[in-house]
Amino acid sequence: MRSPSSPHEITQLLAEWSKGNQAALDKLYPLVYKELRRLAHSYLRRERKGHTLQTTALINEAYLRLVEQEHVHWANRSHFFGISAQIMRRILIDHARRYDYTKRGGGAQKISLDEAALVAKERGRALLMLDEALNTLARIDPRRSQVVELRYFGGLNNEEIAGVLKISENTVTRDWNMARAWLYQELRRSVA
Amino acid sequence: MQPERWQKISGIFKSALALEPEKRSAYVAAECGADDSLRREVERLIESHHQADKENFIDLPAAAEAAPLLVSPDEEEEDSKDRLENGQQVSYYRVIRKLGEGGMGQVYLAEDTRLNRTVALKILPADVASDKRRMQRFKQEAKLASSLNQPNILTIFEFGDLDSLHCIASEYVDGTTLRVYLSGAPVKLPDMIDLTTQVLAAVDAAHEAGIVHRDIKPENIMVRRRDKVVKVLDFGLAKLTEKKSEHSGGRSDTEANTELLVRTMPGSVMGTVNYMSPEQAQALHVDERTDLWSIGVVLYEMVAGRPPFVGVTSSHTVVDILEKEPAPLTNVGARAVPPELQRIVSKALAKNPDERYQTAKDMLIDLRNLKKRLELDAEIERSYSPESALLAETTGRNRSPATDSMDTARSKAEQSETARRHRLKLTAVVAAVFVLVAGLVIASSWSRWRRAGVDGPAPASVALPERRISYWMTVQKYRNGQPFENPFRLSGEINFEKDYRVKLNVSSPQPGYLYILNEGPAPTKGPPSFVVLFPSTTANQDLSYLAQNQRVEIPAQSWFQFDAEQGTEKLWLIFSADSVPALESVKQFANPKDHGLIKDAGLNDNVYEFLRTHLGAKPAIEKNDELKQTGLAIAGSVLVHDIRLEHH
Repeated sequence: MRSPSSPHEITQLLAEWSKGNQAALDKLYPLVYKELRRLAHSYLRRERKGHTLQTTALINEAYLRLVEQEHVHWANRSHFFGISAQIMRRILIDHARRYDYTKRGGGAQKISLDEAALVAKERGRALLMLDEALNTLARIDPRRSQVVELRYFGGLNNEEIAGVLKISENTVTRDWNMARAWLYQELRRSVA
Repeated sequence: MQPERWQKISGIFKSALALEPEKRSAYVAAECGADDSLRREVERLIESHHQADKENFIDLPAAAEAAPLLVSPDEEEEDSKDRLENGQQVSYYRVIRKLGEGGMGQVYLAEDTRLNRTVALKILPADVASDKRRMQRFKQEAKLASSLNQPNILTIFEFGDLDSLHCIASEYVDGTTLRVYLSGAPVKLPDMIDLTTQVLAAVDAAHEAGIVHRDIKPENIMVRRRDKVVKVLDFGLAKLTEKKSEHSGGRSDTEANTELLVRTMPGSVMGTVNYMSPEQAQALHVDERTDLWSIGVVLYEMVAGRPPFVGVTSSHTVVDILEKEPAPLTNVGARAVPPELQRIVSKALAKNPDERYQTAKDMLIDLRNLKKRLELDAEIERSYSPESALLAETTGRNRSPATDSMDTARSKAEQSETARRHRLKLTAVVAAVFVLVAGLVIASSWSRWRRAGVDGPAPASVALPERRISYWMTVQKYRNGQPFENPFRLSGEINFEKDYRVKLNVSSPQPGYLYILNEGPAPTKGPPSFVVLFPSTTANQDLSYLAQNQRVEIPAQSWFQFDAEQGTEKLWLIFSADSVPALESVKQFANPKDHGLIKDAGLNDNVYEFLRTHLGAKPAIEKNDELKQTGLAIAGSVLVHDIRLEHH
């Protein structure tokens, strides 16, 4: 099924979002969400033998499918990467919450032979904690938190992040180091 | 935190990291001056930086780490929506039903409405087909192989982009893959040889035309139902998954190795590495002789009931392929494997391609001669023993001592196709998880186990066969959902706190077949239900066979948790010299969908019957306090023991 919005509309929404219009994100969310999830599934189905999910490739593919064109303006694509990272973050956090909720409310089972669920629950918790710490970081240092969002949730490499944030690659590396050390410290503190 | 303070910390942190590690602390001290708390904060951050590095903290993208969050088994069902429906029309093909999921894509039985003939229609995944150059090479080879008109090579009718699907229409073979065929009735040795020679004939013709298959495995070999004619599938398909084989000649570094592993995996059964030749595993140049290796593996597996190289993980398997000699066929269950067969298999499995069979024809001739000789032997035996000849005739079986033992060998260890298919579908893992906890005490029933009369290893010359196996439990503390401190071995009684988890470890000095079940609550009438814990799709690659001194962990990738409910958990441990059909047939349930629960009442009854008949013979128990492990030993070929874990 095609998305209701035309490629042109998507481009426009991206432009608006890049100008700071957060409402544009809400309009893009369902489109990108659907596409990313569909792609994530097909990726996982094929590549579940222990490889990592190629997030950038995923986002790229989603973008190309949504705008239906091969040659795209870099600025637009950067915006899209930015938005996809945010959406990936939301998707994962939504899932983590859902898992946490259903498992808690599910009542005591005698034996549940479902390691997938258990792993998901643990990873989900870790993810929720990271998300919270990242929100805290965003209040202190928005740019560094964005670097983490783009890299960790968006799966972008430093060069791509530099493009999205319009900073140098060296700055991206330094921001990442600082943010990661701080997040690590925050998470260990809350576990202890 | 104040923005100025944050700025200051991050500034010093940044500059410190730019320095050599040994100069950092002096620099930080100088920068912070009298501000001790500032210095401590920066130092803590630097320390965290190193720790985060060491632990690969958030190194992988979240989507990769959280993959299990995105795809639950229900959602996998959803995935199936983009599959073709029965009756669906794709261009001039009408889908009749799904045949299966083969190498690279789904296969349907379909009717060609133009020509009124049935075909097998394979749909290639869009991304695979999108690489035009690779598609081109694949088509070329596949067409060429098909055009050879060799009766053992599957005929391809057409390649097509139909309704935006990339399809391959080929001859439909009414039969099963060799994998499924082997899991059915026992196959006799002459038939195994016959199947192998047909594969060799197909490969020989292809080699003559300059085509190397590169992916011979039981899943790529069809056996036609009516006449047992073999059709080798997917010639050329390996070209689709390979990236740069022709440029990688001579590379043998681990990078190439990993790359190869990774690119061999997509769309194929996890066990695929089992058939990989040493040169493939090293990403070296591959030629015709690679196919002969793989055929050697298939033949070995047919005879022994398991592949020659099976590791705990794919990487272990690859190491075995490169370094280990497979156990001689005489030692893997069969009593009398003809030495000539052993010689042929060993020659096909020579690590160095130069020492291997050089052509498919050579191997084919050796196998044909062997078959003739076996037939002759059987003839002679019949003429010497009229009674056995009569028996052979009435049962319709052509028996020789060798074929007889082959039959046994075959039935001893067979792999369930169902289980294999499950393996394809799984995201992760199966294993038992006893759900959550609150300050409970588990007392393992070790206190009740008395030291039995088995001291030290048995003398070398025991008349009766003996089974020995050891096990121990490992405890992992958890806090806030995170592992906490190192795991330790459990012995005696311990106070089990909230969120502690356990794992069962098993190992034996003997090779054998291991099964572990969890007994569920007994209903008011009828036998209790059982849950299969081992083997499973994640534990030992679905194989019950355990090599000598191989250690397995149960569950493989997580830990048991106890529920708050008090009582006894009974784990059944079965270790047998031969594979146990009643237990082999329930492996299929060890998947996340069935949660290991044996859902077929008949099969569950068989398991119960098996356990009941073996209850009388209790193994001797030897507890080693120092190693905190428990040894079990029994005279005979089957050891059955119930491990009880009590929590109260």
